[in-house]
Amino acid sequence: MSRLTTIFEYASWGALCLSLTGLLYTPYNPMEQDFRSLAFSSASSAHWFGIDGLGRDFGSRLWRGSGNTIAMALMALSLNFIIGLVLLSIEQRGPRVLQRIILLGIGVWVAVPVLLIGLVIMVFLKPSVVTLIIAVSLGNVPLVFRQLRILWIEQRNALYVLATETLGAGRRHLLLYTLWPNLRPDLMGLAKLILAISILELSGLAFLGLIGDPDFPELGAILKQNQSYLFRNPMLVAWPGLILSTLLFLVHLSKSRSY
Amino acid sequence: MIVANVHKFKVFLIECLHKGIMLILVFVIASVVIFTAVNLIPGDPVSLRLKNPDPTRVAAIRTELGLNKPLPHQYFYYVTSFVQGNWGKSLITGQKVREEISTYFPATIELALIALFLGVILGLGVTLSTQCFKSTLWRNTAFSLGALGLTVPIFWLGFMFIVVGSLWLGWFPSGGRFDFTLPVPQGSGFLIFDSLAAGRLDLLCVTYQYLALPVFCLSLYPAALVCNVLKTRFADPRLDTLIRALRAKGLSESRIWLIHILRLLSAPVITVIGTNFGTLLCGAVLTESVFSWPGMGRYLIEAVLNRDLFVIENGLLLIIILAFLIISTADLLAFRLNPTMKSLSD
Repeated sequence: MSRLTTIFEYASWGALCLSLTGLLYTPYNPMEQDFRSLAFSSASSAHWFGIDGLGRDFGSRLWRGSGNTIAMALMALSLNFIIGLVLLSIEQRGPRVLQRIILLGIGVWVAVPVLLIGLVIMVFLKPSVVTLIIAVSLGNVPLVFRQLRILWIEQRNALYVLATETLGAGRRHLLLYTLWPNLRPDLMGLAKLILAISILELSGLAFLGLIGDPDFPELGAILKQNQSYLFRNPMLVAWPGLILSTLLFLVHLSKSRSY
Repeated sequence: MIVANVHKFKVFLIECLHKGIMLILVFVIASVVIFTAVNLIPGDPVSLRLKNPDPTRVAAIRTELGLNKPLPHQYFYYVTSFVQGNWGKSLITGQKVREEISTYFPATIELALIALFLGVILGLGVTLSTQCFKSTLWRNTAFSLGALGLTVPIFWLGFMFIVVGSLWLGWFPSGGRFDFTLPVPQGSGFLIFDSLAAGRLDLLCVTYQYLALPVFCLSLYPAALVCNVLKTRFADPRLDTLIRALRAKGLSESRIWLIHILRLLSAPVITVIGTNFGTLLCGAVLTESVFSWPGMGRYLIEAVLNRDLFVIENGLLLIIILAFLIISTADLLAFRLNPTMKSLSD
């Protein structure tokens, strides 16, 4: 790993942690309209990012928004990996018919864009944060499944694994001490890629209004809320996107392997 | 030679057949899922849409729409109606869904195709220029732009384009598809084609003016994809050997680059564009939302949010089938250009 990648690695972890602290602490309440008389005022020492059109501290909304975006993306990522791993286990160990069905199903699934999967889910579930997380995680299952399958087959049939197996290593030892240390860097790289994709898709779907609550502090939704103020105060639209881009850029650049 | 060609053709035919079977599978699975989803909607979509949900009136409309019949019958009716192009009426506007789709669909296709074309040209141009100029600074700048194109959210970029191009410079309109104080060119729904067919260059200029910002915004994603895929190809030392060999053969630089190298690079470009078409489609929907573009994306989202039954059933299925068709066509094209390549389904 190059020095630059290491720097980006630390920077991305720092940015993610800083965003997540927004769920626990913000200087002002991001939902309360405490500063209505100061609406649209620009940055000051008390309000670093100014006040939005409804009289709320914009910095607090951005901080909570980035925290919500990252938390939702992490949930989507976890659900995504769980589904991917379950499908992979069935595909590798299950009956032959199921293996064929899963491979065929993934072939069909990969052809349907995430947005359309999201829209189909929205048809029978009400637009909400949970629906959005389900939509994004289901949309990325084919990508995760395929990459996990490639990684697993590549590592499982590697000479060092076969050698350890021949030496009499048990299944647990093989998984924990032989396979896992070699799978971990690639899995981390894949997780970061999926995290970046999930962040982008979540904020995109939230921007389209599929998050339900129009006032929910999420970076894509904040952008949508301030869309009508674009000509009056462009910074209300610029900041959420800048934060989103920085987060995505850092996560992308910290990947150690390209997929 | 002939035997090899026949074998290649056979492999290509098998691949086409495989795609055909997959298309039928996609159609069946997507139609079942959409039909089930629509039938699981909480509340009655007909009652929800009526200002005065009088039970007699609701019952009459339900009978008219065939919603009282058993589910298998409704599904069969849905599939046959979709294939026949009989897509019912929108519960919101009362207009025929087919007519509405024929209005919105060309707008999305026009936007997506021009953006795709511009994106590929931009990506190819930038990457080839890094090979021609051999400047490290330009090379790094170009590839950083490629990375930025994949990370910057398209909907935010759209707003920044509006701020610069419309608010500060005042060169382009901030949204919409056409200036409605002017007569809209009629015909196919593709305004560029219709303006040209009508021989109205002034209307063509207006169309381009409205297209400029959304197209630039949407083209950055395919441009970045092309940049990234070609960057990997150009890093291959075998390419240098090939160029040296072609030069030694006495071919001109333009012939080497425009015929031999471009043909070699077209397969990965087509593959990457095809496999990422879904993301491009999502980008088109987001771009439509930013620029108030009257396309399929906005139409479908509004239909889902308003529970517009027939639009959801037919519009979503149509888009899913089209997305699959485009991805498969790109896959087959790449397969034809480079038969050693494995297909997407492998």
